[in-house]
Amino acid sequence: MSWVQAILLARGLVRGWGGVCGAALMGAPFSQVLPQAPQGLHCSAAAHKSKWSLVPRPPESRRRPVKALALHEELFRQAPGGERDKASFVRTVQNFEQHNVHKRGHVDFIYLALRKMREYGVERDLAIYNRLLDVFPKEVFRPRNVIQRIFIHYPRQQECGIAVLEQMENHGVIPNKETEFLLIQIFGRKSYPMLKYLRMKLWLPRFKNINPFPVPQELPQDPVDLAKLGLRHMEPDLSARVTIYQMPLPRDSLGAADPTQPHIVGIQSPDQQAALAHHNPARPVFVEGPFSLWLRNKCVYYHILRADLLPPEEREVEEIPEEWNLYYPMQLDLDYARSGWDDYEFDIDEVEEGPIFAMCMTGAHDQTTLAKWIQGLQETNPALAQIPVVFRLAGSTGELLTSSSGQEEPPPPPPEGQEEDDNVQRQQQSHS
Amino acid sequence: MALVHKLLNGTYILRKCPKPSAAMCPFLGIRFADYCSSSLQKTTAPSKTSPQRKTGGGLQGHHQKEVALDITSPEEELEVSFDKAIRDEIKDHFRHLKDEIVNHWIGPEGRPLHEVLLEQAKVVWQFRGKEDLDKWIVTSDKTIGGRSEVFLKMGKNNQSALLYGTLSSEAPQDGESSQSGYCALISRIPRGSFARKRSYDWSQFNSLYLRVRGDGRPWMVNIREDTYLIQKKNQMYCYFMFTRGGPYWQEVKIPFSKFFFSNQGRIRDVQGKLLLDKISSIGFTLADKVDGPFFLEIDFIGVFTDPAHIEEFAYENSPELSPGLFK
Repeated sequence: MSWVQAILLARGLVRGWGGVCGAALMGAPFSQVLPQAPQGLHCSAAAHKSKWSLVPRPPESRRRPVKALALHEELFRQAPGGERDKASFVRTVQNFEQHNVHKRGHVDFIYLALRKMREYGVERDLAIYNRLLDVFPKEVFRPRNVIQRIFIHYPRQQECGIAVLEQMENHGVIPNKETEFLLIQIFGRKSYPMLKYLRMKLWLPRFKNINPFPVPQELPQDPVDLAKLGLRHMEPDLSARVTIYQMPLPRDSLGAADPTQPHIVGIQSPDQQAALAHHNPARPVFVEGPFSLWLRNKCVYYHILRADLLPPEEREVEEIPEEWNLYYPMQLDLDYARSGWDDYEFDIDEVEEGPIFAMCMTGAHDQTTLAKWIQGLQETNPALAQIPVVFRLAGSTGELLTSSSGQEEPPPPPPEGQEEDDNVQRQQQSHS
Repeated sequence: MALVHKLLNGTYILRKCPKPSAAMCPFLGIRFADYCSSSLQKTTAPSKTSPQRKTGGGLQGHHQKEVALDITSPEEELEVSFDKAIRDEIKDHFRHLKDEIVNHWIGPEGRPLHEVLLEQAKVVWQFRGKEDLDKWIVTSDKTIGGRSEVFLKMGKNNQSALLYGTLSSEAPQDGESSQSGYCALISRIPRGSFARKRSYDWSQFNSLYLRVRGDGRPWMVNIREDTYLIQKKNQMYCYFMFTRGGPYWQEVKIPFSKFFFSNQGRIRDVQGKLLLDKISSIGFTLADKVDGPFFLEIDFIGVFTDPAHIEEFAYENSPELSPGLFK
């Protein structure tokens, strides 16, 4: 080769080695350190790929104020006025393939694309993963003889394929026939990505629907809808009714989202209504909260209206009326037991807690909002007007509160300032 | 072994486990002996006071004398209780041994045989007092350099246990972990006399029963079989536990046939059913890749026989993945 080519190759090698040493010292993925070398010097492009390139970028070191772009990152730069969605992602992939007929640096590009998927919102889209697998050149990496099959043929590419499948697995995407065909075309049937595909095909469908309380993938953005979903999720009684006591102000009137009028959504079942109607007005009911509920990756907070457990002497014993007719008994005890010696009860007293009368989810967690909820509840439960209501609210966020009468804070985190609002609403105040 | 036990206030020796591999799945339940309670602080307090006294020294000789004082005084205190501690420990162990021998005549674990054979529901772990919490260990990914925190304390009215904390899936910057964010509650292996490992025998039962109150997060239940062989160190049988969230107590019934086999945090190709005659510990892991606070309240954990459940094992082996089984 000519002297020009020799010098360029030497420079590229030096840069490549420097990059490798730098990466080894800093622990950063190699692809970031290598600067934009001209196309002909990809001698070390596939040299030091590590399967840990899926690490989110480490924070930039202070000696390098200018952020070094990864290879091909300019392809992912947002077009002016364009938004990041599926179509633009596909267009970016097509751009890469058109500029690079020989697909140089495709492993880097695929790792980068896997990192960028979350920004484009396509991390659960099977078609996108298939399109990304399509970037691999076909038939090149298939082992052709026994020796190639023994030693992992093209290990970096196989690791990259496994990384794509692993991201699919992390997001719960089940691959399909197209993925299988692509993997066979790219890596062959006896390769590691194909093995991983077989495992995914075996295990992911087994665990796809085992959640007895499924939460939809697409959570509603509207807080009122989210509150309704959350309340229905928590309440096992299907005949419970969800009531919206207050809708939030529309967003265009104020800049911020309704500071004065948060949404209040409550739920109560007919059994709870009956229990509240029978509640002794001499005993107070407590509004406790906020407690946290996780729906997929969103945390919402709810409050409950409950009463303390009646001491044993005050509990009314239900009188079992005498049976009139043994052929048509009023009480049918269809227990699980097959005969006299079956005993499926646990030898422990279960935790007994007071009855819960209603639950609600609100935008704000202060007493005024909850007082509005109580007022709204009084419309369907007129007995609530006679019963004193005590507010036991936590301080700032208080997700870790246990509803104990002492309200202990967990010792290791620094104790937050708690406000124990013991505000007793009397009958006169409820009429305001 | 026994002395170190007593010196560390009855806790177990820290076993330095090998660093998990880079392909660590978040479902790792490796047995770390970790502490989130204050017992460790008590033991390090005497050693912490000595550096403080050292810095107060002025002259060299004075400094040396202070150092000498620091070295001798903790020892003297320890020596006083050392023999007594040993004697107490030995007496405890012999008492346990005597109990075991006597109980063997009455029946398995000291209960009459007819009671054990006819039993259909058994409470294995309950949370009614502080001593019940000592049977559990809490771990989090702090051991590999992560940021999750987890704590265990008694719930309200001493009627339940509350496991709470914050999960953080920020990967540790050690250059080899790409994922992080897990926390676990593991039960201690039951010990007999002379700290021998014992195991539970649940061969009569076929389902696990948990009374919990969660916050909607999915947990994973891991059961470890007898840990006599070192090769089985990271093998466990796992299944998911989905909490509903909400203020109501939730009963979770998981039949033992649903537990799948996993090693080092990965589901293996060759699956076999969980054998119930030597169970050493159970654990709960949270690693759902969602950052934020969490809590789980547990009332009790029991095992029972579900007569309607006749399945032996829920997962078949695939001839493509494990051809050796199908020859």
